[in-house]
Amino acid sequence: MRKTLAIVLAAIMLLSCASLTAFAEEGWITLRVEAFDRNIAGFNVEDCMQLHYAQEHFGDPNHIKLVFVPFSRWDEPTLITNAMFGQTAPDLCMTYNGELINQAIDDEAIWVLDDLLNEYGPNIKAFLGDELLTYGQVDTDEDGVGEQWYLPARRLSVTNVGNFIRQDWLDKLGMEKPTDLESFEKYLYAAKEANLGGQQTIPMHLDLYESNPLYNVVRLTDAFLDFSQITEEDWYAYARNHEMLPGSKEGYRWLNKLYNDGILYENFAINDDAAQDSALVQGYFGFFTMQPDQPWRTDKNYQIELEKNVEGGKWTTVNCFLNESLNKRLHDVYAANGMSIFIPKTASEELAVAAIKYLDWMCVPENMFFMQNGIEGINYLGVNEDGIPIDVQSADAVADEYKMHAGDICFISNGLFYGSDEKNAAAIAIPFKGYEDEVVASNADALCDKWTQISFTVPIQAETDFGSMVKSKQGEFLTAVLRCAPDQFDAVYDDYIEQILNVGARDMIEEFREAYKAGNIRGTFPGNE
Amino acid sequence: MSVKKDKLSARGVTRTSFWQAVVRDWRLYVMLILPVVFYIIFCYKPMAGLVLAFKKYSMTKGIWGSKWVGVDNFEFIINKMPDLPIALGNTLLLNFMGLVVGFPVPVVLAIMLNEIRSSGVKRVSQTLLYLPHFLSWVIIGGMVLQIFAPTTGVVNATLLRMGWISQNIPFLDEGNHWRWLYTLVGVWQSMGWGTILYLSAITGINMELFEAAKIDGANKLQQIWHVTLPGIRSTIVVLLILNIGQMMNISFDRPYIMGNPTVQRYCDVLSTFVYRAGITNGKFERATAVGLFQSVVGLIMISSANFVTKRLGEEGIW
Repeated sequence: MRKTLAIVLAAIMLLSCASLTAFAEEGWITLRVEAFDRNIAGFNVEDCMQLHYAQEHFGDPNHIKLVFVPFSRWDEPTLITNAMFGQTAPDLCMTYNGELINQAIDDEAIWVLDDLLNEYGPNIKAFLGDELLTYGQVDTDEDGVGEQWYLPARRLSVTNVGNFIRQDWLDKLGMEKPTDLESFEKYLYAAKEANLGGQQTIPMHLDLYESNPLYNVVRLTDAFLDFSQITEEDWYAYARNHEMLPGSKEGYRWLNKLYNDGILYENFAINDDAAQDSALVQGYFGFFTMQPDQPWRTDKNYQIELEKNVEGGKWTTVNCFLNESLNKRLHDVYAANGMSIFIPKTASEELAVAAIKYLDWMCVPENMFFMQNGIEGINYLGVNEDGIPIDVQSADAVADEYKMHAGDICFISNGLFYGSDEKNAAAIAIPFKGYEDEVVASNADALCDKWTQISFTVPIQAETDFGSMVKSKQGEFLTAVLRCAPDQFDAVYDDYIEQILNVGARDMIEEFREAYKAGNIRGTFPGNE
Repeated sequence: MSVKKDKLSARGVTRTSFWQAVVRDWRLYVMLILPVVFYIIFCYKPMAGLVLAFKKYSMTKGIWGSKWVGVDNFEFIINKMPDLPIALGNTLLLNFMGLVVGFPVPVVLAIMLNEIRSSGVKRVSQTLLYLPHFLSWVIIGGMVLQIFAPTTGVVNATLLRMGWISQNIPFLDEGNHWRWLYTLVGVWQSMGWGTILYLSAITGINMELFEAAKIDGANKLQQIWHVTLPGIRSTIVVLLILNIGQMMNISFDRPYIMGNPTVQRYCDVLSTFVYRAGITNGKFERATAVGLFQSVVGLIMISSANFVTKRLGEEGIW
């Protein structure tokens, strides 16, 4: 008995080592497509409604077996880097990791798409348009014409972040919505004074994203920038280091004061999302910053949850970070390109063709409509006069087999596409039933005095080398300058600026400056107008 | 050789050849295959990849096809990365603290467990002590937040409410507090698991020695001091050498999860540094260079520890 068991176990072990590759059917090929995975409960990326639909309408007629390969949405930049370097990446990939794309182009590890697009991608070209396509073009053979190394997804809404304040607190304090830093500060201190959120009142929330530590404070500190002293060249050179631009220091000094006065969330550097979410819906916070539609999103609805806990509790958009040197309330917005879509060289030419065909199929309007919206009567209950789905069902309201994710699976379009800019804009607020006006107002604020984020059209070697080091040091910088005693602020600030420069920012700034001088830039300088 | 063999057999001693032993104990050798395969695949095969430390890794050419660059990678990490010495210092300090505080605990604990008379109580306490070892650091990290976070953590919240402290104890956001927390949580997590080897070593001690000691009038503490501890001394020494050899190695998940930007200067260790400097940005050659450096120092440490213990008359590990 024992002997048999041992032999069986050994056999299983050996078998599992052996390759289990199934033999493909005659004439069929398997196309592996990357798919972001957000761990949505009940939604299986590898076996979802959208995959079945694409298989039936695209795969079967073309003798292509589609396979979705899940990549965790939040670890995607690292995971896809490892897959690319390990030569195990899917045949059709996407990433937000610009540095990886630069390296891949440098190593010629991805397909040049010009010929493939011309032959198999008429719908892709029509959907993306010539101007957007240039984002994916890099002139590597230096003949003056860029080669199409990757496809930029089309970003329909360029808004980046919204700022939110408690309308019910304003009402209790008898205040108007703040319009500049002074009135904002008054609101914060008054809220603290009156303990509007109870004993645990924290007037101002702040969260430090470790992958980009200054992300949530840069809009506040940018309000202090002195644009009379900032040249366009500096704006590009310090693209990743706004903390070094003239005036920024006063912004950090202001935050330091708020921290020391107990206005600012003291645990901002400790990654306790659950505690923060809970405090947001318990009504302890008086201000927070997130995506412009975040408070009303169906997956994490801070507004509805707040109403349950606090009678009359209401989040509303606020636009108060007024930069006096420009007299503008600056908002950075995304460029028109979304993530980068590419085909690794590990895919054969046959697979590269299949991948472009698949994307082309995805760009056909009726296919895109299904891939983004799902089935009428299940994922949405009807359409309005513009053909835009209404009564869109949240993920937890539909059965598992019908769960879907528009952006992650239909990745060529970053945002829901209904045929024209007007319709797309009109559609943005529709899913937020009961809060449409709030979402529209919030989106409008997020586009106020907008400037487009900076990118460079040439690989920046120093950013690949030192980007992660600089970011990590910026995190340390932020915690240090906010938490130090006010009389030590100057010393701490100067010390950390020097450290950030030393871990690689100096090289980055230099290389950005060179790229600016050579004209290899995208984005806008708000000081120009 | 054959002469010797003949002599042995002439004396009536049978000496089995290697193959005879294999045939006789084949089951044991079959069991050995798995660990041997494990070491070949995960420890020896990757060693060839160390050549990456001297190359510039290309996505398309792989490890072998990539271009040789000499010691460029080492020059880069030494000259261009001022965080490396900090990470190195933290690695050594945290490991040293872990060794000094954490090493004796399993010994003491094993002796205490050994003295428990009721086998039921003994088993329950052993299981309870082992449990943390099986928790992932992600879970422990969550627990640490719940317990030690400022204001909302159980400890600070309780002490604040009771009025025993007026300000938070900065477990997570002040360097030295964080170091001790890191060390003690590590001790808590691994102490139970660490007792296993000592317990088996204690079981191996001849019971007659204890009886003899008792007859000589030794009380419990004297028995422990004069019988148990000398009995497990060689085990302690071997584990100590192995631990010293690990001084340069530090896991990734524990400092990464327990750390935060406030204590970056204290929690950045070689593994987290390598992650930033080489893994996230696809500079695997630099990650490999740091790894190679780490291994060489580790080898020097374990050799010297072994040398010293041998000089002190102990057995050593080779």
